[in-house]
Amino acid sequence: MNKFFEKMRDPRQRRVFYAIFGGKMLGLALCFALIFGVSAYLSSRAQAQTPAPATAPATAPAATPAAAPAAPTITAPTAAATATGNTTAAAAAAPAAAPATPPNPPYVNPINTMWVLVTAFLVFFMQAGFMFLEAGFARERETVNVLLEGIVDTCLCGILFYAWGFAWMFGHGNGYIGWGDGAGHTWYCLQNLPDTYESTGVATLAFFLFQFAFADTCSTITSGAMLGRTGFWGDLWYSIGVSGFLYPIFGHWAWGPDGWLNAIPFWKAAPFHDFAGSTVVHTIGGMIALAGAIVLGPRLGRKFKRDGGGPMPYHNMTIASVGAVILWFGWYGFNPGSTLSAMDTAGIARVAANTTLAACSGGLAALLFVYPRFKKWDCGATVNGLLAGLVAITCPCYWVSPLGAILLGAVAGVIVILATDLLEYLRIDDPCGAWPVHGACGIWGTLSLGLFATGEFGAPTPTGADNSAGAVVKGLFYGGGTDQLVAQFIGNAAIGIGVFAVAMVLMYAVKATGTLRVSKQIEEEGLDLHEHGGTAYPDTKTSSH
Amino acid sequence: MKLIIAIVKPFKLEEIKDALAAIHVEGMTVTEVKGFGRQKGHTEVYRGSEYTVDFLPKVKLEIVVPDDTVAKTVDAILKVAKTGKIGDGKIFIVSLEDAIRIRTDERGDAAV
Repeated sequence: MNKFFEKMRDPRQRRVFYAIFGGKMLGLALCFALIFGVSAYLSSRAQAQTPAPATAPATAPAATPAAAPAAPTITAPTAAATATGNTTAAAAAAPAAAPATPPNPPYVNPINTMWVLVTAFLVFFMQAGFMFLEAGFARERETVNVLLEGIVDTCLCGILFYAWGFAWMFGHGNGYIGWGDGAGHTWYCLQNLPDTYESTGVATLAFFLFQFAFADTCSTITSGAMLGRTGFWGDLWYSIGVSGFLYPIFGHWAWGPDGWLNAIPFWKAAPFHDFAGSTVVHTIGGMIALAGAIVLGPRLGRKFKRDGGGPMPYHNMTIASVGAVILWFGWYGFNPGSTLSAMDTAGIARVAANTTLAACSGGLAALLFVYPRFKKWDCGATVNGLLAGLVAITCPCYWVSPLGAILLGAVAGVIVILATDLLEYLRIDDPCGAWPVHGACGIWGTLSLGLFATGEFGAPTPTGADNSAGAVVKGLFYGGGTDQLVAQFIGNAAIGIGVFAVAMVLMYAVKATGTLRVSKQIEEEGLDLHEHGGTAYPDTKTSSH
Repeated sequence: MKLIIAIVKPFKLEEIKDALAAIHVEGMTVTEVKGFGRQKGHTEVYRGSEYTVDFLPKVKLEIVVPDDTVAKTVDAILKVAKTGKIGDGKIFIVSLEDAIRIRTDERGDAAV
């Protein structure tokens, strides 16, 4: 204590002390403000939420929210009536009168909700596949970096999708961005959510979980093209950009309840179709990956084919190929789950079969297409080929026949190899082939719907399939003309080009902070040691413990 | 005939190989090794704690050259492998009694 007073006599020491003390107080005040501010915000929202489900009938009186806080204390029957809130105020006044018609929004449909949850878990498991695939294709010295990126992307994406991503992507708003239920309530931080999402019968949080898993795959795709040289701070910044801004906003264009691509205003009001995300997930992810790879530049020492070099070697084909098969397995959630309805059993079966067949033909096509070059059966190319088939079938899986799936998958298997050659020619270093697989084949898959859609299938509904004449999708090869093809092109080009332009800005912005790329020394000695303080495969025999 | 043993930083291997190819030294044996000299070990991080790793990864090159190319070879390695920081490695030169190419029974410089 004496020492302290002694120090305080020195004016310079005193200034330092005041600065530190002031800073601490400021921080403390900020913490308190957050604690009280946020809790006040949340509790007021929670009270407003009970009586006014988002899609409540327009007749619900505005006075109901004010009465709500009292609801838990009043007598049981009345409380029950108020809690069901989506009936009218008349029902609240006369608890004996049961509602004659099912309330709107519809009941939570248990089987549809279970289906969406199960497939959400499957899609989530794709993260393991991505981590395996990318780690296997990376060099040994950046393995920990790749694995941690996969994990942190997931954690970050979950929080961002909770905070605003879900509202922006799946909320009502305008054609370009959503925010809430369209009746004045926002969905930020998952507040004010209706019981079920739209008319799907799927509990809204199950739908949220499913869509979070999709958003997560999108941001992980990006890291595949940027590994080996991206600093971890840079990775965090661009991940926030991808999961928090690019994916939800551009995704809303196609998948938002009022996204402008649902009825393209300047093309016969034709709808753009993307069943499970060849455009929304894969083209977006692939285009951001391309932007990242361009802005970063190649890894040190990477020589391209026309300079007499070739790709840098992977470090573990075992986990890379097993990762691809895990991804294939996860795709059984990705595509079949996108029906959002377990009642459309024929649709689910068709989607699952098409998904399988496209992967099969994609893998075979890539294998056979590469074989003549060196007379070798190339595992890395086949892995990317089957993934290319899966990416391509993601958009058209509901509307094509098994034969169509085989054909378009095979084309994807060839495209992925040609796209890889193109990147090599352009001297762009994409260690995992994120753009050839997800970007190029995402574009092909989206367009292929306009070619291969049979015209027999419409859309899944909560209780079955709607294959009525007005709903069916017909492609060029089945006599449907070019209308759908052009709509697909417009949708894919708008999202693909838009996202690429914004991603370039994002990547250059991160580069301007100096965090995007690590220094030469770190890159040479490996990201694992410098960024993460250890390697993936430590030599236990020569460490001291 | 001399055996040149060079212990260098792993990421320098490719450059050294190219530099040696440029002066027509085309043959070497490479081993991944661990060890320490003045650089000692370093610390790594695992679950929030630090631990010490005493041995650092290096690459060991073994190159056999005729007496008249020893200086050229060593110069080439020095030029490329030097970063000026501690841990660049070492070069040892050992006299070699004989060398035999197994396929042809050639001996001496002809076998190198």
